[in-house]
Amino acid sequence: MSILIDKKTRVVIQGITGKEGARAEREMMRYGTPVLAGVTPGKGGMKTSSGTRVYDFVAEAVRRHPAINTSLITVPAPFVCDAALEAICADIPLIVILSEGVPVFDTARLLSVARLCGARIIGPSSVGIISPGRGKIGSIGSSESGAKTFSRGPAGVISKSGGMASEISHILTKAGIGQSAVVGIGGDLLIGSDMRDLALLFERDPDTRLLVVFGEVGGEYEVLLADAMRQGFITKPVVALIGGYFAEKLPHETMLGHAGAIVGKGRTTARYKAHALKQAGAHIAETPEDIAVIARKILGRRKK
Amino acid sequence: MKLYEYQGKKLFKTYGIAVPKSERISPGKKRVSLRAPFFLKSQVLSGARKKHGGIVRVVRASEFRKASARLFVNAIGGERPRHLLAEEEVRCARELYISISYDTRTRSPVLVVSRRGGSRILPAVVFPIDPLFGLPDFTVRAAVAALEIPSGGHVSSVMHSLWELFSREHALVVEINPLFYFPDGRCVAGDAKVIIDPAHGAPEARRILPLGGDIAVLASGGGASLVNLDVLMKCGGRPAVYSEYSGNPSADVVRDLTKRVLSRPGLKGCWVVGGRANFTDIFETMRGFVEGLRRTSPRPTYPIVIRRDGPRQEEAFAFLRSAAKKYGYDLAMFGSETPMSESAKIIVARAYTQ
Repeated sequence: MSILIDKKTRVVIQGITGKEGARAEREMMRYGTPVLAGVTPGKGGMKTSSGTRVYDFVAEAVRRHPAINTSLITVPAPFVCDAALEAICADIPLIVILSEGVPVFDTARLLSVARLCGARIIGPSSVGIISPGRGKIGSIGSSESGAKTFSRGPAGVISKSGGMASEISHILTKAGIGQSAVVGIGGDLLIGSDMRDLALLFERDPDTRLLVVFGEVGGEYEVLLADAMRQGFITKPVVALIGGYFAEKLPHETMLGHAGAIVGKGRTTARYKAHALKQAGAHIAETPEDIAVIARKILGRRKK
Repeated sequence: MKLYEYQGKKLFKTYGIAVPKSERISPGKKRVSLRAPFFLKSQVLSGARKKHGGIVRVVRASEFRKASARLFVNAIGGERPRHLLAEEEVRCARELYISISYDTRTRSPVLVVSRRGGSRILPAVVFPIDPLFGLPDFTVRAAVAALEIPSGGHVSSVMHSLWELFSREHALVVEINPLFYFPDGRCVAGDAKVIIDPAHGAPEARRILPLGGDIAVLASGGGASLVNLDVLMKCGGRPAVYSEYSGNPSADVVRDLTKRVLSRPGLKGCWVVGGRANFTDIFETMRGFVEGLRRTSPRPTYPIVIRRDGPRQEEAFAFLRSAAKKYGYDLAMFGSETPMSESAKIIVARAYTQ
């Protein structure tokens, strides 16, 4: 078991003929996740170098390959809204958006449609999802370093940052703690699945024994997770690292590394988020390395 | 991208939202066509202008030159105004608050209103907006009711106009605080805060945010850069700037950023830090870094600590070693066997003991 990925995962890549799409295709196939088809408008009939067939339309790809149940979107930002809408209309239940720089208004409209149609969106700006040893969607964990970075085990990792998803997994792996799944939820202001959504999935996953969360300044997703913990919806232990305490010195509305990392006041500061999570029972890591130390303690205690 | 008040008000006018009579003032301007008394408002991006002396009431026209000269030299939040806005004084019955922005709780746009705006704003009421349907009448009616004003005035049309502006201009925030509300139902926007989605406009240049310290930081990774600055400060380091380069930047991009960051005065050290990259070409970025170093004058003699790992790391480190020898840089390099937080301690120790 894992979340979002299993043995039945079959992927179509929208934007497969682009640089990001081609790399994701290569990487996923190498990791053993079947990419059944690609979609690039105007390039239907072509085949990629690994032999994947390219279609003009998602509906066409799904008709020819009815096993497709996941779409990975790698098209340029201005076309993401249309691409995701096309995937939703083709009844694909899981849509992972890798593209960065999607206008927030496009994301907002997309999330509204997805809610109405019951589709799950991960991202935009998601580095992808990996379930070590089982499969992956997106560009997370390159084949050169992936084997050293990720390993199978009990930690469910949720991260706003793609780089930190790998960094944290690497630290856990070095400490002998594997991961059930690692999900890059993206650092945009609006995202399809937030920390609470994924924590609820990990909560139901028998392989996951603890959650590791990387959050940062901006927005309230971390606070919503804390609320869910306090209300008893999340009972598995949570270790959280929050970035951006230093931002208190910067003027409000400054945008830091990610589009959603906007300096503000109150509930959107790193300090408040860490406090809210701690109050809700989470363990707050001070540095990335701390995560492994805390996780070790939690897992050791639980075994007894 | 945040707009200045005068730019925001120009947009307001285009969308049919009334604004006070005003005139934009450039430095050296001797007189204003507005009749006194009027307000002079510093055009800076920082909020809380009133608190920092950025808004002055001019009672007699003869006071204008002195007042404007003072405002032009008054930096607010580190920023000096390039323009002032002279604006007629509005005498009104009430000051309301209206804004549209995004809320991560509802993951949608929201209309936010408060029956008392200004600097001592009362708790606001929040109405989610479904972007597929736009701002519906019933929501506007509910918002007007929450403002505790009679229906039928101009406030509802201001809300509709604000939504038009928000959705068509790809704004992240549009805020009117205060919205002057007259007893006859008319409204005038007293201020304008408009932030446009950077994803919609042209990409912004890589920004360097000053933090007042003496260790130059070149960080990669949107998330890692935040964590690393936190850790640096926890170790007693004083970062000079926040700057970040993510993705797979070309050597030229890194060179220019390096040069800009290292040209700051009073530096005691430089920390190049990033996680274990999946796809970033470390050799390319380090080549750019060395190019940037070479173009920095005077030649950096302070300690430089690099913590980076990923594709072509060994090549990159060999290149750095030879560059350090050739040009005489005090350079120490670490890969992912050294935790990022450990390298923070190293740069702090080296920077502050020399």
